[in-house]
Amino acid sequence: MSNYIELKKISQSFNTNDATITLFNDLNLVISQGESYAITGPSGAGKSSLLMLISGLEEPTSGQGIYVDVEQKKTLKELRNDIGFIFQQFHLLPELTALNNVALPLKLRGDKNAMAKAKVWLDKVGLAHRVDHKPSELSGGEQQRVAIARALVFEPKFIFADEPTGNLDQKSATEIANILFTCCQENNAALVLVTHSETLAARAQHKYLLADRQLNQTVSPSDLDTNNIVQVASC
Amino acid sequence: MLSNNLKLAWHFYKQEYQSSHQRLLRWIQGILLLFIITLSQSSISIQAYLDHNLQSLLGADAVLSQKAELTPSQHTEVIEITDDMVITQHIKTTLTHNGQWQQAKLKAVGEHYPLQGELLTSTALKEKGMPTFAAPKNGHIWLDARILASLSLNIGDHLQLANQQFLVSRILQHEPDRLMEGHTVDMRAMINLQDMKALNFSPDLIHYRYLLAATPAQVNNLIKWQENNLPAAEIRHKNGNHPLALFWQRTENFMGLASIILFFMAAIAVNQLTQVHMKKDQYFSAICMSLGASNSTGIQVSFFKWFIGLLLLLPVVVLLSACSHWLIVNWLQETFADMQWQWHAKSALVSISAVVTIFAVFHAPVWLSLRNNSVANLFADKSKGLSHWLSKISSLIVLSAVTITYSDNALLTMMMVAATLFTIILMILISWSTLTLGEKFTQNFSGLVPFSLFMMKQRLVSKSTQILGIGLCAFLLLFTLMLLKDLGATMSSYQRQHDGNVMISQATKPQMQFIENWAKEQKIAVRQAKPYMYAKLIEINQQSLSKFSDKPSDSLATFSRAIRLHWTEQVPQNNKVIDGQWWQPNSENWQQVSIEEEVMTDLGLAIGDWLTFFIGQEEIKFQITASHVFKPGAGSITFWVQMPPTALAHIQAPHYNMASIELDSQQWPLLANLWQKFPSLRMISLKEMTDLFDRMLAMITKVISGFSLMIILLAGVVILASINALESKEKKKNSIIMSFGFTRSTCLKLNIIEWLVTASITATGAILGTYFTGLLIYQSQFSLNYQPDFVWLIATLATILCLVTGLGIYASRSNLKSSVKQLMADT
Ligand SMILES: Nc1ncnc2c1ncn2[C@@H]1O[C@H](COP(=O)(O)OP(=O)(O)OP(=O)(O)O)[C@@H](O)[C@H]1O
Ligand SMILES: [Mg+2]
Repeated sequence: MSNYIELKKISQSFNTNDATITLFNDLNLVISQGESYAITGPSGAGKSSLLMLISGLEEPTSGQGIYVDVEQKKTLKELRNDIGFIFQQFHLLPELTALNNVALPLKLRGDKNAMAKAKVWLDKVGLAHRVDHKPSELSGGEQQRVAIARALVFEPKFIFADEPTGNLDQKSATEIANILFTCCQENNAALVLVTHSETLAARAQHKYLLADRQLNQTVSPSDLDTNNIVQVASC
Repeated sequence: MLSNNLKLAWHFYKQEYQSSHQRLLRWIQGILLLFIITLSQSSISIQAYLDHNLQSLLGADAVLSQKAELTPSQHTEVIEITDDMVITQHIKTTLTHNGQWQQAKLKAVGEHYPLQGELLTSTALKEKGMPTFAAPKNGHIWLDARILASLSLNIGDHLQLANQQFLVSRILQHEPDRLMEGHTVDMRAMINLQDMKALNFSPDLIHYRYLLAATPAQVNNLIKWQENNLPAAEIRHKNGNHPLALFWQRTENFMGLASIILFFMAAIAVNQLTQVHMKKDQYFSAICMSLGASNSTGIQVSFFKWFIGLLLLLPVVVLLSACSHWLIVNWLQETFADMQWQWHAKSALVSISAVVTIFAVFHAPVWLSLRNNSVANLFADKSKGLSHWLSKISSLIVLSAVTITYSDNALLTMMMVAATLFTIILMILISWSTLTLGEKFTQNFSGLVPFSLFMMKQRLVSKSTQILGIGLCAFLLLFTLMLLKDLGATMSSYQRQHDGNVMISQATKPQMQFIENWAKEQKIAVRQAKPYMYAKLIEINQQSLSKFSDKPSDSLATFSRAIRLHWTEQVPQNNKVIDGQWWQPNSENWQQVSIEEEVMTDLGLAIGDWLTFFIGQEEIKFQITASHVFKPGAGSITFWVQMPPTALAHIQAPHYNMASIELDSQQWPLLANLWQKFPSLRMISLKEMTDLFDRMLAMITKVISGFSLMIILLAGVVILASINALESKEKKKNSIIMSFGFTRSTCLKLNIIEWLVTASITATGAILGTYFTGLLIYQSQFSLNYQPDFVWLIATLATILCLVTGLGIYASRSNLKSSVKQLMADT
């Protein structure tokens, strides 16, 4: 079996000055490498917070998270090197060209072929002709494609995306979704997706609903078709 | 509507009060206001003091003063023009008693003296002065209490002056006509006019002064008469300027130059902050507009908010400046005896409004950026180009205006501006080339350093503003500290470097001959001896000096009196010709002069200009054919104006000498004989000279230390401001790096590396800038040999930069408090 993240009986609550907010109780979840997950739910339910817990960037109030890497049990802290993020606001660095933005994580890791690899990835997301453009010269959809390339370029095993299409129109959203799903699959990376969009959620292999402090799996009827649609996009 | 906006502004002012961009702005405004208000208050106090001084210490309605006696016909003419006249004669002399000597200004007065005001004398040291209405009797001398002390004399003792005995009969407490003396610390003595004649001093050593009683109309006639008949004489009257006014204005203007530096730094700091202010106010304005308000609401609220901030700052600033003004007045009382602390509300108002206007211009880009923006534009935050340049241009305009206002010493101002520009260009070049080359060379290495270089190179524009800001601060600070240190060191090492330990500033021909023989007999070394005559500049290119330039400068102040004109065949060893052509030996054309370079610049002279000097009793024209500068290493006696020796045949005027001699400690008592023989010999020993220097040094040290403190404070603010300006960007960058799976400590390391690179670039720029500025300014402005002590420079710079890096890392620690979660929440 491939690598996976397992959350056991996780709870998260915050103490504010007058009350305790509990986001969820005793939550269990397994994220396996190579598969896609969608989490939906009302605003304020704690989806983004859950994402932080899964990725090991924040500690739960109670419960345990483990990361199993090649049969080895590790803590979630050790997941750090294997994760990538995609945001609703893209969050590219405005002073850097598309190419430099994509090359950024590789450069930080001291990869000597950073530029070449970044170019390959920009090509994969269909932006080979815009490499030297700054984010301000790109449309939202294009910026998100750069962000996807940036998240995948250092080949993390788990990709977390918080409403990646929230800022885009229908057409761009579909394109971005296509790219996201195919690229993750090709890279054998897990994709954990938070979204309000049913159509987007429907394309994930596993669908969850976070509401009333509970995380429940919902079965999507179109489960079997997804992969067929995805093939339209190139990656 | 307006009151609504005011309320809104007040609300937002309170809300933003604690935020760092507002706090930094308050600091900048506070420091600059404090400095300018204190400066203007002190300057007005001094001017008021000088004016009062002029009214009460002239001892006459007008005073005519010159080196020669009025001819009988001139005498009658002056008496005809005016109501009354009292003559006084003055000479610098040395009094001796029991083998001790003391230099003093000897004044001889007649029976009529004083003309106006009260002469106060007493017969015992502790007694209060009594009004006295007559001159000393023949054979009597009245002395200042300090002479009694220094020669251990008592009332009733006799002292010796040029082989004549004088009875010390009274103590001189106050003379009503002391103004003309300026504020010298010379000790004072008074005798009768008839004794002066009997002492038989050479007439050219005596200074004549005519105290005149006259109506304002008569004074005007007198001035006209003087211009036509006695152009070289000096005239002072109650409606005119204090003799020290010019001196003070120069000091004040030098402080003005200092304020240019402070304004420069404030401009940098405000400029860095503008970006943050712009963003906040634009965001607020966008919200207002999206709620249906017009875009003037945003501007008004932004303006009121800024204005309220300044208004509330003012009471604190005014209180602080009143305190520092009080301290300064107290300190000045050492020089200007009965000066009083007084608050000048009107001038405070003027300087406050001037500074507030300047701040408004600095801040204007924020308001301008709100003007032409639509809701969409504001939210998208795309208004970069225009307002970015507007802010730079407006700061430049203000700075040039300030510079022009204060261009007293044109050369110094130009040098300072050139040095600053040079440093700016240098730093831009260095940061560009270091980052570009650094990035290129480290491309094939892995690690955080290459990454930092890469990131800095990519963000060159925003990074280089930060580097420039910090670099200029480091440069100004380093230069100020270096100047302070070197001035101190020069003064204290004067003893070792100086050629000769007794300086003779004025010896007549027979005196000089005697000294030379005496020195040979006593085996005393005469280090240098150079001849000169007195000459008063009256016209430049046929234009009278007073009309030629109305701006005060070092040179002009000196040229209002007679200067020393030196003659020499060859270029003196301690001079260097830098422009024009030095005369050939035995040149037929004797009407040429060489002028010191700084004098040329200050007076705006050029090679080929004609100068008219009043020498002896005649006007003589010279053409400027060369310009020289001082070259260290061959003695310190140098002259501003030099002519060929062939001119001597055409000029009737007494010759004097300047010389320096070297005595060893056993030879000091020999000076007593010399002074007894020539009481009017102007000679100053090194000890007196070092005392003078020590006093000057103490004053300079105080001024520069106070100024350094201001610069250090502002430098801190600039650094904080430049960090504040980049804060949101830095936060985002750190969050993004963490989203790639890196830890916070990686971000910290990157941050430290970035600061070290910034510090090294800044360091190189500051050192080179300081070196260049020293090269430009030291010799010409402070007569200092420029021998930069690189070890000291680098050590000081290292300290400054450690503080900068430390402060930078410390202040940017809040940038590290970022997280991936913030990126998710950021909508
Ligand atoms: N550090 C914290 N302290 C206190 N409350 C917090 C903290 N972090 C999150 N919350 C609260 O937890 C709740 C869930 O936040 P979260 O951002 O996870 O919701 P979400 O499901 O992502 O909502 P949305 O769909 O609007 O993005 C919110 O009410 C938020 O105020
Ligand atoms: Mg969320």
